[in-house]
Amino acid sequence: MPMGHTATEQAGSGGLTATEHRLANGLRVVLSEDHLTPVAAVCLWYDVGSRHEVKGRTGLAHLFEHLMFQGSAQVTGNGHFELVQGAGGSLNGTTSFERTNYFETMPTHQVELALWLEADRMGSLLTALDEESLENQRDVVKNERRQRYDNVPYGTAFERLVAMAYPEGHPYHHTPIGSMADLDAASLEDAREFFRTYYAPNNAVLAIVGDIDPEQTLAWIEKYFGTIPSHDGKRPPRDGTLPDVIGGQLREVVEEEVPARALMAAYRLPHDGTREADAADLALTVLGGGESSRLHNRLVRRDRTAVAAGFGLLRLSGAPSLGWLDVKTSGGVEVPDIEAAVDEELARFAEEGPTPEEMERAQAQLEREWLDRLATVGGRADELCRYAVLFGDPQLALTAVERVLQVTAEEVRAVAQARLRPDNRAVLVYEPVQGAEQADAEADGDHDAAADDNDAEGESAQ
Amino acid sequence: MSDAATTMTFHPQPQAGAARPWAFPAPERTELSNGLTVLRCHRPGQQVVAVEINLAAPLDAEPAGLDGIATIMARALSEGTDKHTAEEFAAELERCGATLDAHADHPAVRVSLEVPVSRLPKALGLLADALRAPAFPEGEVERLVRNRLDEIPHELANPARRASMALSKELFPAESRMSRPRQGTQETVEGIDAAAVRAFYETHVRPSTSTAVVVGDLTGVDLDKALAETLGAWTGGAAERRPMPPITADDTGRVIIVDRPGAVQTQLLIARIGADRHDRVWPAQVLGTYCLGGTLTSRLDRVLREEKGYTYGVRAFGQVLRSAAPDASGGATGAALLAISGSVATEVTGPALEDLWKVLGTLKEEGLTDAERDVAVQNLVGVAPLKYETAAAVAGTLADQVEQHLPDDFQAQLYARLAETGTVEATAAVVSAFPTDRLVTVLVGDASQIEEPVKALGIGEVRVIQG
Repeated sequence: MPMGHTATEQAGSGGLTATEHRLANGLRVVLSEDHLTPVAAVCLWYDVGSRHEVKGRTGLAHLFEHLMFQGSAQVTGNGHFELVQGAGGSLNGTTSFERTNYFETMPTHQVELALWLEADRMGSLLTALDEESLENQRDVVKNERRQRYDNVPYGTAFERLVAMAYPEGHPYHHTPIGSMADLDAASLEDAREFFRTYYAPNNAVLAIVGDIDPEQTLAWIEKYFGTIPSHDGKRPPRDGTLPDVIGGQLREVVEEEVPARALMAAYRLPHDGTREADAADLALTVLGGGESSRLHNRLVRRDRTAVAAGFGLLRLSGAPSLGWLDVKTSGGVEVPDIEAAVDEELARFAEEGPTPEEMERAQAQLEREWLDRLATVGGRADELCRYAVLFGDPQLALTAVERVLQVTAEEVRAVAQARLRPDNRAVLVYEPVQGAEQADAEADGDHDAAADDNDAEGESAQ
Repeated sequence: MSDAATTMTFHPQPQAGAARPWAFPAPERTELSNGLTVLRCHRPGQQVVAVEINLAAPLDAEPAGLDGIATIMARALSEGTDKHTAEEFAAELERCGATLDAHADHPAVRVSLEVPVSRLPKALGLLADALRAPAFPEGEVERLVRNRLDEIPHELANPARRASMALSKELFPAESRMSRPRQGTQETVEGIDAAAVRAFYETHVRPSTSTAVVVGDLTGVDLDKALAETLGAWTGGAAERRPMPPITADDTGRVIIVDRPGAVQTQLLIARIGADRHDRVWPAQVLGTYCLGGTLTSRLDRVLREEKGYTYGVRAFGQVLRSAAPDASGGATGAALLAISGSVATEVTGPALEDLWKVLGTLKEEGLTDAERDVAVQNLVGVAPLKYETAAAVAGTLADQVEQHLPDDFQAQLYARLAETGTVEATAAVVSAFPTDRLVTVLVGDASQIEEPVKALGIGEVRVIQG
């Protein structure tokens, strides 16, 4: 097997290095050694996500991901979960707009098992896939949709924002969970066709990170994956090209049984992988990333008009990224008051840019978030796969934090001025309607109830 | 297109290699001159250091009528000090790339700091300021109170939170703090002000009853010096440990439906209380509970998810409410919540509960199999090095041990005890943890659709309350 180049350790990479390899069938492999703990992560990214789905079959990539856990030629039923968990490992799979990933974190001495399992389903899923599994997992996924979106307040907000920011017919117009009607319509033949089209060694990247012997690991990979035939059945996703800005303010008002008014908005931002995307990340952090951000200070601390206010960023490489504003109002405050304050803050920021102190704080926050992702072998493997699949070069993962630290205040100001403007946003307003009798005013549970989880990463098998 | 399956070469399932030994880290325990207990643990490679502070300010210490004051105090610790205003404090923390969270639960107030090791000394200084000299400005406390009041409707709207709230009210006697929401009700939170917060702080927060756990890659860090200059400067007198009130619960089998007209799913929470970590049955209970509902290959999901498709997943778990060291007679006084939770589609709520009770019944009649027990042990013990990769995970468990009055090597010993636990013991423990006639069932869902099917199951009296 042709060996790739060996990277030298780079500044700011936290000691992380990676080597690249490619099997004859096109499977790309990335290895990274770390012997501090006797564990290793096996992470496999397939270059397929919800953006590859067609009209009438939304949710198919994610439903298919569930079917990958229903057995293959040598693995019966739930064997994938049983064998990994019985070996002291943990595992899951997730589906997003741009990729589907499968990962196992294993005690060192069980890594070979994870490779065998991944190879078995990559090469032979269709010999085990049947109607019974499909019917069962269809019901499971519909319940996942109900649990995470339809049965929680504001649960469909993200779906609505995405549908506005990316127009009808655009590959990112729908989210990975898909619609109930399309989930109902998916057939066994659709699933088979999906596998034949997208699941091939030459459409995947495999990263192994942790307490491994690289030579031995490569030999196992060659043994288990080497004979899986490649094919060129893959169809590229529909073109995701869009203008940089929406070109006008879109607006949807939802009247629903929610606990408080809310103002949400989606902004089109630069593509992931560009310096402008890092600048946008910093801008959103200064404006709405934490307890010292401008929107938190203005709306929650000073005006006291909001219970929570913040920005999230969904990085996308095949379409404009998405900046997501989320403000839940306090008491009887009206949405226009919040909106005026947000506009004022964004306009001031576009004019003046961040202060040096704000830049320092935002860069320190993003640096810690990056260190958090690298703190586990699974996190590192996922980042290496991400850069390999989306940008063609896993080594870029090693310098990602450096790039964020090099962005200047002027670049942050410029991206805010170009993108965080009223004619580049889709606004979603929630107005509560009274349902049944008002509940007793009591509550329980963990802290930060009002701060909704902005994680739009995708859907998972478990 | 050719079928890929016919052309790849298959190999037999590989055998495991030789395991590399791993042990749960042993912390070093010391005490600062001000009486603060310190547990430290060096974890090579963990660049983000985790610091967990345990303050002996339990919820049952809250003054009558002021439920939620421990929560407000915890949040107010970071709202300004003798050196910084609230906004400055938040900015200084973020300048360190740090996060600081504080929350109050039945046993204690916990403050959690995470920060890159390069900025640990500075962040420890800010943490120490927050503990040593919180300003509790009136305006900031008033804002926190209003913010907390705004959060309550959001919590009520969340089906899982609403279920947990209804369960607490149902399970525990009205006079027990455990029966009431941890973070207070609208009525009690409204009565909280800065003076009351300061009084609660002065009565219950001091170094001699507190513990700091520091975990991460401490290479090149003079932690003794950093601690002496920060948390070491915190002063305060001695205090008696508060006695822990006994925990009692009424687990008479019954069903409470919290009505949510139009809900597309029913949130389930089925629970009672049982043994905590001081009880010698704990390892067997952990093992048995995992076999019942620890993962999607456990008994509950094998039927409810993987056979019937009723749910995205149902889990069984034991979660310690509060623990104290065994009393003179050796009896444990703490308790854990033993629960099954998840959500099922509205129209299959009756059949799902029927299946759930069948799973419990079969477990009692037939017991666990040796194979099931073996896989569970292999998982619970085998995942330990994965579970404890990060500094935060290790620090959290060490702080839990302190909070529950357990020895520092409890978790390390637990793995050995799990490996020694047999099928018969695990069966006995889980059957006694989840008796079919002593479970309180809370359902948050559409009563008009689920009440009749649930009544027909005969799992106890069914009562509907407004959502």
